[in-house]
Amino acid sequence: MNRAIPRPFSLLAEITHRCPLHCPYCSNPLQLSSQSAELTTDEWKRVLHEAADLGVLHVGFSGGEPLQRSDLAQLVASAREAGLYTNLITSSLGLTSQRLEELKRAGLDSIQISFQSDEELLANRIAGVSAHATKLKAAQMVRESGLPLTLNVVLHRANIDRLEQIIALAERLGAERLELANTQYYGWAFKNRAQLLPTRAQIERAIPIATAAKKRLLGKMELLFVVPDYYSDRPKPCMNGWGQKYLTVNPAGEVLPCPTAHEIKSLRFDNVREKSLGWIWRESEAFNRFRGTEWLPAPCHDCEFREIDFGGCRCQAALITGDATVTDPACELSPHRNTLTEFVEASQNSGASAEATNLIFRQNTGV
Amino acid sequence: MQLPSSEMRPKLSARARLQTDKVTGKPIVLYPEGVLMLNPTGHAIVSLCTGEKSFQEIVATLAERYKKSAAEISPQVAEYLNRLRERNLLEITEAKE
Repeated sequence: MNRAIPRPFSLLAEITHRCPLHCPYCSNPLQLSSQSAELTTDEWKRVLHEAADLGVLHVGFSGGEPLQRSDLAQLVASAREAGLYTNLITSSLGLTSQRLEELKRAGLDSIQISFQSDEELLANRIAGVSAHATKLKAAQMVRESGLPLTLNVVLHRANIDRLEQIIALAERLGAERLELANTQYYGWAFKNRAQLLPTRAQIERAIPIATAAKKRLLGKMELLFVVPDYYSDRPKPCMNGWGQKYLTVNPAGEVLPCPTAHEIKSLRFDNVREKSLGWIWRESEAFNRFRGTEWLPAPCHDCEFREIDFGGCRCQAALITGDATVTDPACELSPHRNTLTEFVEASQNSGASAEATNLIFRQNTGV
Repeated sequence: MQLPSSEMRPKLSARARLQTDKVTGKPIVLYPEGVLMLNPTGHAIVSLCTGEKSFQEIVATLAERYKKSAAEISPQVAEYLNRLRERNLLEITEAKE
């Protein structure tokens, strides 16, 4: 193997799949890990230190709902001790003032709270539980604690028309960052994509709103908005290239090149219980399978964009075509693009209601 | 973006942290979802953003250190600070007096 092994910058630590919410676009796999399979406190501490030694600078504590683990503050302290910048990615359910104080003392650097909408009824309907009011209080508590706050709102057909109000909510709550994350269609979201995919008209209305807000808020609030790849001509540069900058460790200790890599059934993922994180990053089959651009298929391998998008997303290729090694079908040059285009066209008029009545909600049984 | 006024006192934001990179041994600024790898000049500027020195004093300190005139380096320092400010990495307070 003569590929240059780059340095990872960011670790997503999915410390549990347990979660009080039921979002129909959850990025966790359909088959969730049980509590008994979760890595222990000491195992996570070792992973965090190994990550820092590899060059990782950021750790995102995520899930599931990371607050479900009572050792979260210990893990944050361990990450800080290793020199990592620590971010908590949470629904905020379970965040008491006592817990927040404990996390702050442990050295937590920033908090990212998910919101389902600015509007309570819709937000609670999407979350599958009554969570919105609690989130508003938690966001206020975070601001009062002085920790930097990011709001993360997953966008889809039922809430994208409220973009202006959602941005206003983030401003009102004093967020320093707002991630307007268009739904990515894997796992639960893929099951629901006919209900979740915004219409073209919705996307065309949303773009200028996001662009204007980004400009207006420059230097005050960082705003992220990316057009969903189903409506784009080019695929996303997924994870900035496979095995280039990011790694995810799931609750049971498997190390994934991207959080949804379990969509690729042909790959086997090594576990931190058996190998070091460094070995897995450098040597494992899963990380090397799509690393670099040498493996790229036609039409990618001599495409002028190959160092820009690296052939797009492997999980999407696997999910749409059944073959993880082909060009991402989101690319207009992909021989499979018509599969996506046909779906997009068919979904323009199919139940474009904001009622979201046909959604399949994430089930938390057996977790 | 306008240049900072000579009396404003820039301070590295509480959301950002200046530290040494374990891999390269070089200075970096970490902030939510991002990192700045600092060159020696950037490091010199960021290190002076403590909220105690005014823009004018920062320029004077750097001018002395690099044996240049304040007028010569002032625009470069201003540009650098504006770039930090655009990334929401600076808290700017006016002089209290």
